[in-house]
Parts: sequence; structure tokens; C-alpha cells
Amino acid sequence: MSNIDRRTLVKGSLAAMMAGAAFSRAAFAQSSEPILLGVSGPLTGPNAQYGAQWKQGFDLALDEIHAAGGINGRKLAYQFEDSQSDPRQSVAIAQKFVSDPRIVMELGDFSSPASMAASPIYQRGGLVQFGFTNSHPDFTKGGDFMWSTSVSQADEQPLLASYAVKRLGLKKLAVLHLNTDWGRTSRDHFVKAAKEYGAEIAVTEGYIAEERDFRSTLVRVRDANPDGLILISYYSDGALIARQARQVGLKQTICAASSVYSPKFLELGGEAVEDVHLGTRYFPEDPRPEVKKFIAGFKAKYNGQEPDAFNAYSYDAMNMAAAVLKIGGIDRRTIRDAFAKVKDVSSVIFGQATFDVESRRVKGAMNAELVVRKGQFALWDGKPT
Amino acid sequence: MGEHLDSMLSLRGLTRRFGGLTAVDAIDLDLAKGELISIIGPNGAGKTTLFNLVTGLDRPDAGTVRFEGQDITGLSPERLAAEGIARTFQLGRVFGNLSVMDNVLIGAHTRLRAVKPAVPVIGPLLELGLALLRPSSVKAEEERLREEVKAILARFGERLLPRIDQPAYSLSYANRRRVEIARALALKPRLLLLDEPTAGMNPTETAEMQALVAELKAKGLTILLIEHKLEMVMRLSDRVIVMDEGKKIAEGRGEEVRSDPKVIEAYLGHGLTGTAEQESAA
Amino acid sequence: MSSWLDYTINGLIVGNVYALVAVGLALIFGVSRLINFAQGSIYLVGAYIGWVAVVQLHTPLPLTIIVVAAAAALVGLIIERFGLRPLQNSVRIAPLLATIGISFVLDQLVMLTFSPNPRALPSQLPDVRFQLGGGTIGPLDLLIAGVGITSALLLFVFLRYSKLGWAVRAASQDRDAAMQMGVDVNRVNQAVFGIAAALGGVSGMLVGMYYNQIDTAMSLQATLKGVVAEVVGGAGNVPGAVIGSLLLGLVESYGVAVFGTSYRNLFAFLLLVVVLVLRPNGLFASARQAPPEPLTGTFIAPSRPVRIPRWALAVAAAGFAILPLFPVSFYVLQTLINAWLLGMLALSLTLVAGTIGQVSLGHAALLAIGAYTSALLSLALSVPVGLAVIGGGLMSAALGTLLISPSFRLRGHYVSIATLAIGEIVSLVILNWESVTRGPIGISGIPPLSLFGYDLISPSSVYWFSLAVIVVLALLQGRLLTSHLGRSFRAIRDDDIAARAYGLSLNRYKSLAFIFGGFAAGVSGGIAAHLYSYINHETFNTQQSILALTVVILGGLGNVVGAIVGSVALVGLPEVFRIAAEYRILIYGIVLLLLVRFRPQGLLGTI
Ligand SMILES: Nc1ncnc2c1ncn2[C@@H]1O[C@H](COP(=O)(O)OP(=O)(O)OP(=O)(O)O)[C@@H](O)[C@H]1O
Ligand SMILES: [Mg+2]
Repeated sequence: MSNIDRRTLVKGSLAAMMAGAAFSRAAFAQSSEPILLGVSGPLTGPNAQYGAQWKQGFDLALDEIHAAGGINGRKLAYQFEDSQSDPRQSVAIAQKFVSDPRIVMELGDFSSPASMAASPIYQRGGLVQFGFTNSHPDFTKGGDFMWSTSVSQADEQPLLASYAVKRLGLKKLAVLHLNTDWGRTSRDHFVKAAKEYGAEIAVTEGYIAEERDFRSTLVRVRDANPDGLILISYYSDGALIARQARQVGLKQTICAASSVYSPKFLELGGEAVEDVHLGTRYFPEDPRPEVKKFIAGFKAKYNGQEPDAFNAYSYDAMNMAAAVLKIGGIDRRTIRDAFAKVKDVSSVIFGQATFDVESRRVKGAMNAELVVRKGQFALWDGKPT
Repeated sequence: MGEHLDSMLSLRGLTRRFGGLTAVDAIDLDLAKGELISIIGPNGAGKTTLFNLVTGLDRPDAGTVRFEGQDITGLSPERLAAEGIARTFQLGRVFGNLSVMDNVLIGAHTRLRAVKPAVPVIGPLLELGLALLRPSSVKAEEERLREEVKAILARFGERLLPRIDQPAYSLSYANRRRVEIARALALKPRLLLLDEPTAGMNPTETAEMQALVAELKAKGLTILLIEHKLEMVMRLSDRVIVMDEGKKIAEGRGEEVRSDPKVIEAYLGHGLTGTAEQESAA
Repeated sequence: MSSWLDYTINGLIVGNVYALVAVGLALIFGVSRLINFAQGSIYLVGAYIGWVAVVQLHTPLPLTIIVVAAAAALVGLIIERFGLRPLQNSVRIAPLLATIGISFVLDQLVMLTFSPNPRALPSQLPDVRFQLGGGTIGPLDLLIAGVGITSALLLFVFLRYSKLGWAVRAASQDRDAAMQMGVDVNRVNQAVFGIAAALGGVSGMLVGMYYNQIDTAMSLQATLKGVVAEVVGGAGNVPGAVIGSLLLGLVESYGVAVFGTSYRNLFAFLLLVVVLVLRPNGLFASARQAPPEPLTGTFIAPSRPVRIPRWALAVAAAGFAILPLFPVSFYVLQTLINAWLLGMLALSLTLVAGTIGQVSLGHAALLAIGAYTSALLSLALSVPVGLAVIGGGLMSAALGTLLISPSFRLRGHYVSIATLAIGEIVSLVILNWESVTRGPIGISGIPPLSLFGYDLISPSSVYWFSLAVIVVLALLQGRLLTSHLGRSFRAIRDDDIAARAYGLSLNRYKSLAFIFGGFAAGVSGGIAAHLYSYINHETFNTQQSILALTVVILGGLGNVVGAIVGSVALVGLPEVFRIAAEYRILIYGIVLLLLVRFRPQGLLGTI
């Protein structure tokens, strides 16, 4: 499974809007039907929860987009097809979207095998595949119709390494990572950056997603005698590791990748995740207006529920899609070209998102250094734990 | 009893234990070419287990089995089938979903030549290739065997021939027993082991079966027969062996054995008459 | 060294957790000779009922345990009464498949009710920790160990000394004889399922508390590890299951110690395969036991296959061949391409599971071998794609057969367990053998299909290509079935003992079946690799194996046309019912159950 990525908020910069305005208006004027996006993602199967989280983020973004007048007056809607994150189904869905003239752009899929299996079809069919959780380094190499706002691990991991090594002063690290394409790529980037910052990597351990028991792994970690544990994990496995680390008597500082950033991490980890450090792209008390708006809107729409990383990615993705459509119109090719033109789209993850035309990704994710204090995520105050 | 020079099958001290139970206990037996020996004994005496040991389906804990002078103890059943040993099963083991024709053709499996070239290592792959390509030699062999099967089935009169394409599971019990015997005959056995061939048959069917076995014997086939129907045993056997609790308790001509007090006791002691149908415990 | 003490303690702790599931499995196997694939689902249900009790009803622990045990027992009774009892006299494979169907249904119901998000299940025990070795253990560790060992002991005593226990043992030794002696076998079964389910439910809850986390994925994992532990200990042997579980925990823990975390499950499944090969009846059974005679198997349902005239098949094939000439959408074509690819896998599985009777639950491994071989041949050695795909087929035939060969001597459900394990092993080797397979990163940039230098890129050309391949494979397989090999395979399936007595070598013919079937599956995997351009160790997962098995059963075991019809149906129908997305797996489980119950011979009948 792949992962982690991020997205952007929709109020594209004024300049960008102006640039596209004349063209777009003409294109949009004709129909009162909503503009349709295709979403390929898991609603059932082992990754079903992520599809459900996507929907929450999409729907919130759509409410805001429509409140602000839609896409040059037209409504925006999406058609969510369940792929179960299975490449067999995502390719069929890809053909379905490609051959459906109403679909102007595709979002997803969730996992790398499912997304990248469909890429050749989108590329040949000339439909943008906008993968917002596709961190696999080769995803956007599938062709010029592949764009991604997934934070490149080449960007994210050095931030985490800097937090762990430079700010927290950890010198000898044990890295535990999910053994998936995302986890491996992340680990490699992290290790490289951490070494550059002068830390020693004592041990790295990859584990499979279904793993529940980490006690023996943690004995290996203990024997390597690190002064910090790095978790390249999702919230559920991250919480398990933190709990078991405390049970086997490891008291070292734990520093985790932003993917654990979820209220569930606190719920599942309980006291064990107290003092866990993590780098994130945004946090609740973040003074940035786009973050405030996102969190307030999310809580209002979903009964006070705190949004997590995947909610933010999908919220950003829908906003980015809207920004692109505003200048790209509803022609599939001009939409592709518009990805290169959007500038400084307001984004929870990036602050201001602009694509790097070369890599078709967005660089410069926001970074906040958090720590869990009294069962809440809080900005790290620089005090040692 | 001395070692027969023309002995086809000879068992020495054959023993098989299941946990605490000795199912076959130091059995000696010599079967001459063309001879028919019956093995009788109460339920659980170890008769079927003895058959299993001879045909390689089970391995003895002690003792030897010699077939035509060769030691075949512990050889696999596949090997022994290729040597010409065929058997039927007490409870009837036809291939339920195969047609009568196919069931009997399986009996001729060891005789396939054209499609199973005796080439080491790549033999199986050649077999696969030949089965798919089916050159004329393979077709001819298959055709010949099919004709042969029809001839074998004709021995059972109109019992099986009209049902030649029906799956075996749809046959009557007696017909399934017949298919088993036909399958054994298709192997062109040199030694035939029949485990209660008339179990579950009515008197008419039993008589037919008895005639068939007599005919096979007359043709010179060497036969080892397990049978509970004493009358048939008396008529057919050259010699009779009586087993009880794994041991051979008597051996000799039918009448001698029949009047042997040990034999009577063994049967009475188990409360069985030996003519009843015994199908429950195997 | 003190670390070894810690590894040992940790192995025993996690072994404890496995034991909870394994004991229930062993109990059920003991009586019904059935590996209950739904045991993990009961465990899941127990965990969620526990969550409702603890988090919403705030019940104290003893009451929570009683509530969970009662509710889970009820689920067990329902499964027994409506899922399995009707299958009592049906074919041997039916109850196994039914438990798989039941597990789909239960897991899906839990997911629909509670959402797939993980939940915290707080422990209700005081949070005190005791120092043990370098780490600590808590009251839950002790409670889990207590429940596992006590239940195993109680069951042991119950089986030995109580009247019902006597009946259970009698029924497990010889069901017919027990029935004649007046044992009410149904009541025995009910008792056993009730007890096993109660135990399973409580286990799920305790393990949920132990990790403070429950989610729907725990079901399959629990079943897998439980089955491994149970079979290692000797299926049906309750104390053996506990020892098997502890052993499994230790092997995993030491495996992690020596080789690292990512090798953990590899050791679990290797342990299983080694035990199955060396001591097929488990570590604590006597090594050599000839099967008693009346094993004459109704392995598959007797049936007369539906005869479809050749001209009708030819017309259907021609119809599909000209389809792309009509204005059908690419989506329809792509869906049919998926059906053809699944069809090739189903042809392979219908041969090995249907024709020769080796029900493989790890068949997706053959896809993976074919896919990786073809991808690597074309990428690393620049072999033309057409040849690379054939190379994938050959590699899958050779390597697949070699890997599966240890299971040739196994029978019945053990074959399924062994193939399941071998499938997992292949996937874990792909994950760990980074120098060749690139591990979790996977292989990207695989060139598209091409033939004689022409790239097959348009959906129509891929469609025609895969249609042509499946037609050729189906014709070949049809020809195989009418040869002496088809006859021999089916004879081995119907009665392997009688087959051996007539000179059929099981190793030889099972190998040939896997070689032929492995080729078809490998080609399917190879084509998929070039179609997707990216594969990793998750592309060909257990779900594919189960899907293929369902196709095979739907179409009719051994039935070539049935495999293709089944593939079109199982790929097509979910696409048609996309609207019911959330309910698809549920519907799928129900279809499997209904099929096993009412048409075990499949739509077109067993051949
Ligand atoms: N595989 C086995 N495991 C344990 N005990 C066995 C096995 N096979 C046979 N036995 C036991 O060995 C003894 C001999 O059985 P066998 O089937 O050889 O008797 P039999 O003389 O053929 O009886 P019947 O007339 O009923 O066919 C019986 O007590 C039987 O229960
Ligand atoms: Mg017998």
C-alpha cells in the first residue's frame, strides 16, 4: 500500500485564475450538469477505511467549493468507484473513466500496485491520473498525465531526520518501518538524511502491515542500543509499537513519521504514545488560515471528529482539482496542461502548492514539529522529554 | 510346508502392528503358480491387512514378501502393479466419476507403452506431450485397449456393456464389484487378489461370480481370495488358510480346515458364522 | 545471553495468543475433521462484542467475558446449524468451502456495522507490570495464558471423563459407528461448536484488549496463525494445539532474532510445511498410519456435466472474437480481459483442484512467479515480451511444481493448508529477496505486451491476445482431459489408493497436472505484469487464490468451459453491481454458501 501524500486547498492564486478565466468561462457556460471527476479507491477490502476517509475530505472540500460559486459557476461532483485497491479492478475502472466523456480527470488509486497498473491506461487515454496518496517514486514517471500531490518522501524524510537528529539531538537511531513500497522508500530517504546530519543508524527493521506483535523486534532494537526510535508507520501499527516498546522497557525517545498523525494514534496508543514526537504538515493550533478553516469545517461537518492525515490529503486533492479545472476547463488535455500552470494553490499540506513541472509533484510541504503531551498533539516547545 | 520352487508368492513371518494390536502376526504362506488359495477368518482377523502388505499399500513391521523369487517387501503399490499384481477392494473402490470404460482402462494403465516411453527423467514430459499431440501410435494403442476392455466387459454378459459410458457411481453395488474385477483383469495380472468379491451380492449374482473366478482359475491365473461364503471357498480353493487375530490358525484342503476344532472355535468365539455379510468394520 | 531469554519469553507470550485460536480449531477438527476457516471471524465478532460491552455498556470484566462467550457461542451454534449441518452428507470439500464463505459473511457484517477503522479496546485489568527478563508482562499476559491453558486442560478432562466428552471422542473416531451406538452426533457437534466459538470470542476480546486495538483485518491473521499452530500440534489434538502454538511463537521469535523482523512469517509457514512433510499428522501423532480402508472418497459431488455442443462453443468463441469490431466501450473490453486472465488461472486451478483433486489455496503464487519471471526477463535480459510471457509460464510450471511437490503426499484438507502456506512463502520470498525482486518497491516500467515487434497497446489488441491465449489453453486442456492423462488424473482424484494399486504414480501425475496448470497460471501472471507495467508482492494476493477457487466451484470442478464461464460471471457481476460496492464481498460470501449447499457440482457440473 502506498501512501502518504498530501494536497492543497483551493483558492488558487488570483493570478492563475485570471490567466485561465477567459478560456474557462467559454468552456463552462454550456451546461448545468456538474463537472465530473472519477475517483478510483478502496471502499471495501483491507484498505476500506482509507476510501471512507477520502470521501470525508472530498465532501468537505466540495461544500466549500460550491459555497464559493463552484467552478466558474458550475458544480463539481465525483464518481467513486470501488477498486478494493486491487490492480485488476483499478484497470477496469481506468478504462471506464477513460471511455466516459463526462469524466474530466481521475483521482486515486490508493495503493501503488493499483494506481500504477492503471497508469498506462490513463496515459494512453489522455486522462489525468491525479494520485494524491502515491508516494512511490516511479508513480509520476508513468507519463505526463500522472500528477501527484503526495508529499515526496525525498522531501518529507529529511524533515523528520532533521527533527530527530538536529532538534532532538538523537545520535544513534533504530528505524522501524512498514515493509511496503512507501515504507521502504521512506526508510531509505530517512537513513540517508540522518547520516548526513551526523547520526548513526543502529538497526532498521521492516515489518508487514498485518503484524501485531513487535516484542521480539524490540529486543533486537534494544540490543542495538539506540538513543531514539524512528517509526515509519501508520497510526495503528505506530501505536502498537509504542505500546510494546514501553512494555519491554524501552524508554528511548520515539519520533514518528507524519502518517501517524491521527486522533486514532492517541486513542490506540494511550499512555504509551505520550511524548512521542512527530513531524506533520499541519496541526490543530496551526495559525495558518487554510488549516483553521479545514479543521473547523471538518469538525462542523462530522460531529466534532478530528480530521487526520488522509482527510487532509483528500481535502487538498479536491481543492487542487478545482483550482486546475478553473483554469484548465473541461478538456482533458488542457486540464493536464493546467497542472503546470496552477500557482500557489492554498493547501493544508503545502501552505501554497505549485507543481514542479519536471517531477509533476509538489515540493515544499509544510512542516510542524509536534509532540504528544497529555494525550494531545501539541507543538513541540523545544523542551526535552 | 516346504519352499515351493515354482512358488509365485511366498510370505515369511509377515507382521503388522497397529499400536498394541498385531493385525498380522508372523504369517507364512506359499502360493504356487496357477493355484487358488482362500483366506478365511472372522472379522478383524487381519485378512485385508495382509492383502495391503502384499500389494504395497501398507508396509510390514517384520517379515518378507517374495514374488516370483524377488524380494518385493515394502515396494510401492505402483511398482507392484507394474509387476503384475492386481487386487480388488473389500469395500469396492471404483472411481465414482469415471465411466465404466475409463475405470477398466485405468486397469490397463501399466500396459500403456506408446504414450509412456521408457525414457528416464524426461519420460513424464514426453508422456504429457504425447497425450496432447496424440500421434497415430498412441491413438492405435488406446483403440486397442478400448476393444480389449469391451471384451473383458463381455464376460459379465449384459451386466456392464450397456452401461459402458455411465459413471460408476450410478451403478448398482454388484455392478461396481464387477467393474472392479474387470479393472483388475485389464491389468493382465499374474497374481490376482480378490477381497470378498461377492460381498453384498444375492445368490444368483454370487453364483455368477463364482463361475467367473472358476473360469479365471481354469485359465491358469494365480489367485488369492478372501471370502466369507464358505461354500464358494470350498468349491474354488486348492487350499484354505484360516486367520484369527492376525495368526494363521489352520491351513489345508477345504474339508480338513472346515472340521478343524480351532477354526470352529475361532468363529464361535467371535460369535460369527462366517457366512454372514460383514461390511461394517474394515 | 539475556536477550535469548527475552526472545524465549516473547515467543511464549505470542504463542499464548495463538493458542487461544488453535484450541478452538483443534476441538472442531477433532470432531468434524474440519478446518474451520471461520474461527478467526468468530474471534473478530467476539472482539467487537467485547468493544460494545466495555466501551458502550461499561460492563465489568467478568460480565464482559460472560456476554462475549454467550454471544459468540450463539454465533457458533448458528454456523453449525445453518452453515454446516446441512452439508453433513455432502462431499468432503463442501464444509471447508462453507467455512470460508461464512468467514466472508461474518467479517463483512462486522465491517459494515462498525466501519473498517481500528478501534481501541481498553483493558479492564489494573495496569501493573511485572519485570520478567529484560521486559515486563502484565495481568493480561497471565490471563491469556490462563485461559489458553485452562481451556485446553478443561477440554482434555472433559473429553476424557465426561459422558458428552466420550460421545465427542466416539464421534470423532467413527461417526457412523457412534451414531449406531446411540450418540446424538448433531448434539455433539453443537456442543463442540458452541464451546469452540465461546472460546474464540473470548480470545478475540482478550487479544483486542492486549493490543488495545481491534480491526477487521484481525480475523484472517488469527485464522492463519491458528491453523498453522493447530496443524503443527496435530490436527484435532487439543493439548497438541497449545504446544504447537507455543512452538510457533518461539520459532517466529527466534526467526526475528536471527534474521530480522521481515522474515517472521516466512518462518511460521516454513515450520508448517516442514511439519506437514515430515509428520503429516502433526508433531504429536504417530508418524506412520495407513489410512483405514473406508476412505473411499466422495471428494467431489457426483454429477453429470452439462454437455455443451461444440458448435455452441465455437459460436460463443467467435462472438467474443468479433466483439471489439462493434462499438463496445473499452471498459467492457478491459473487464473481459480481466475475465480471460482470471480464466487462465481458473483453468489451472480447475485442473489441479478439480481434475486431480489438489485443492490449492495458494494458487496466486503461480501468477506471481510467472509475472516476476516475465517482467524480469523483459527488463533485465531484454527478452522480447512474447517470449518472456512464455518464459513466465515455463518458470511457473517448473518452480511451482517443485515448490508444491512436498504436498503431493498429503490428502484432503492438508493439501489446502500446505498450498496456502506455500503461497504465503512465495509472497514473503518475493518481499525479502530484494536483489532480484526489488522487494516491496516492486518492479515498475515493465514494457507493454508485444508480439513480433508490434506493441499490443489498444484495448482491442490486448483483448484479442488474451482471448487467443485462453482459447488455446482451453483447447489444450480439453485435449488433455480426453487423453489417458485426463483419465488418470480423475482416477487419482476419485480414489488415490485404488489408483496407486493400479500403477498410477501420484508424484508423477500430480507433477504433470501442476506443470500443465502452472504454465497456464504463469502465462496469466506474465500477461498481467505487462498489462499493469508495475507489480509488487501484493499484486497477486490470497484474495486472488480464493477468487479463483470460487470460480472453479461455480463453474464445476474440472470443467474447462465452467472455469471460463465462472470467470466471466465473477469478474462481470461485481462490475454490474458496482452500485452495491460495500456489499460485494458479503454477496460473494453468500453466493459461495448457497452454491456449496445447493449446487455443489457447480453450474456446469463436475467432470
Ligand atoms: N490403519 C489401521 N489402523 C489401526 N488399526 C487397523 C488399521 N487397519 C486395520 N486395523 C485393525 O487391524 C485388524 C485387522 O483388520 P482387517 O481389516 O485386516 O481385518 P479383516 O480380516 O479384513 O476383517 P473383515 O472380515 O472385517 O474384513 C482390525 O482389528 C482392524 O481394526
Ligand atoms: Mg477385510
